[in-house]
Amino acid sequence: MSTPISLTTPKVTRRAQTRLGIALISPLMLLVIVFFLFPLGNAIYYSFVDFDGIDPTPAFVGLQNYARLLTDPEVWHALGNNAIWIAIGTAAPLLIGLAQALLLWKVRNAGIFYRLAFFLPYVLPQVAIGIVWGWIYDPVSGWVNKALQVVGLDQLATGWLGNPNTALYAVLVTAIWATTGFVLIIFLSALRNVDGALMDASRLDGVNAVQQLWYIILPQIMPVFLMVTTVTLVGGFSVFDIIFIMTGGGPANATNVIGTYAYTNAFQLSQISYGTTLALLITALSVPFAVALNRLQRRLSLQGTGA
Amino acid sequence: MTTTTAPTTETAPPPRRGVGAPREDNGMSPRRRTALTGKHLLLIVLSAVSLFPVILVISTALKSEEDVRTNPFGLFSSFSLENLQNAWVVGDFGSYLLNSILLSVPSTLLVVVLSTMAGYTFARLPFRGRSVAFYLVVLGLLVPFFAYMIPLYFQLRGLGLLDTLPGAILVLTSTGVSFGTFFMRAFFSDLPLELEQAARVDGASEWQIFLKVMLPLVSSGAGALGVFTFIQNWNNFLVPLLYLPGGEFRPLTTGLYQFTGGRSLDIGPLAAGTLITIIPVVVLFLLMQRQVAEGFISGAVKG
Repeated sequence: MSTPISLTTPKVTRRAQTRLGIALISPLMLLVIVFFLFPLGNAIYYSFVDFDGIDPTPAFVGLQNYARLLTDPEVWHALGNNAIWIAIGTAAPLLIGLAQALLLWKVRNAGIFYRLAFFLPYVLPQVAIGIVWGWIYDPVSGWVNKALQVVGLDQLATGWLGNPNTALYAVLVTAIWATTGFVLIIFLSALRNVDGALMDASRLDGVNAVQQLWYIILPQIMPVFLMVTTVTLVGGFSVFDIIFIMTGGGPANATNVIGTYAYTNAFQLSQISYGTTLALLITALSVPFAVALNRLQRRLSLQGTGA
Repeated sequence: MTTTTAPTTETAPPPRRGVGAPREDNGMSPRRRTALTGKHLLLIVLSAVSLFPVILVISTALKSEEDVRTNPFGLFSSFSLENLQNAWVVGDFGSYLLNSILLSVPSTLLVVVLSTMAGYTFARLPFRGRSVAFYLVVLGLLVPFFAYMIPLYFQLRGLGLLDTLPGAILVLTSTGVSFGTFFMRAFFSDLPLELEQAARVDGASEWQIFLKVMLPLVSSGAGALGVFTFIQNWNNFLVPLLYLPGGEFRPLTTGLYQFTGGRSLDIGPLAAGTLITIIPVVVLFLLMQRQVAEGFISGAVKG
């Protein structure tokens, strides 16, 4: 790790450091072991038994939970929803966030107001977001349907969250609204590192805005682009709160993702073991991306080009 | 880690070199001026879209009861504090607010204290076995809460911590310390080695070096971590949903959710409750937006 053990450090000092170090991390390690490592180990155990939440000595069932997972059509349906969620929920904030960042890039006056306005949704609790967007999507007096009426597109009006065909996308739009500000802030700080001299020189050479974006700006903010992509990707596998709050996975499972399906199994159907196995599936899918992200971030900070 | 933070206030505009640099001052051509106005118009529209839901909450919460019934989402069509009163008295949002504070404040303090202690160790105090401990802590950044939340429920039940404030506080703390340790370690790593050597020559003990020399130098980092963690804990939905099912210690987030639960949606008090829930976060964000952004951007590692 980062601190090299200096050869000149006297033994007494090193012993004192060891003593203090152990004293300082003990409470943290205790917490990590009891509230993270132990239940994580238990999760793996649960996935190999048939636990209903009551029986203290559940029967060992081997790979049965995993086999069920592979043959359960709802798993594949939910995974499909996760895939839609990840694809659109990653691409849209990236594109909108980048566009907003480019718009804001050279704005001096009032730039701070815009940044606050765009970033604010990201710090709001998901419950509050879910409730308000539920009103916006309200079939009778919601703003979406009212707006459609005004522009004469009444026939498109629907109960956005109650209609199985639109529910997932309606929740997705809410999520995009909430995360774009975060992407914008990261892009803005990355843009600050873009070489100004290069931009000026290219302008003198008569390079147009699109070429500038493609050949000068994008290559320089590429690492950040990758980072943001991975962040939203990792989050996309374990998405739960906003869907659970807005639709509960319904109507008729239309918005079920692995997260809500795992919750339903464990806490509503008392199929603890199967729910846990589903939760482990989320982990197995997201950890590789999280590891990649971690590597990426470490490389970024080494290069000093990070957001 | 340190470079993945973003100061969101520009203290000084970067010096501009070169000829073609665009300037937003007086000497611009009419065409550029029009372009600039258009840009600001677009940005104002986008800001309005971004802020609209928040405006809708404020507007609906401050309407009269009757107006909510006939025209629930018309903006600022009447003014009354009835809904806030109802949410507070009938809707029990007063006790939800208290529970939110009782959950968020202790867990935030615990995260900051434990992470600072561990961050110092992982940055500055080498000993055998330290890297193993570090990897175990970092594992918490990679594994989503989902992976172990179900067994944790039964574990808490076994320990008698289910549906208790200490149980939920400890879980909230444990979900924050991996990132916190990582975050604080970066601050301690940046401090020059000469500092502790000089203190040691002066006869300071290791404990004094940590407490008197190093700790004051990372206070801004600890502050940013505190603000970020507080918002995270305040907003947390899953932890109270799973581990405080009884309702006695229900915080604002699950209190709000309870309110939406299927039955007749009482929009007025619900809007007021939503307003009560978001006010602390919004105020904290506006006052300390730099620290908040810094925390959220480095916190992105956590899936």
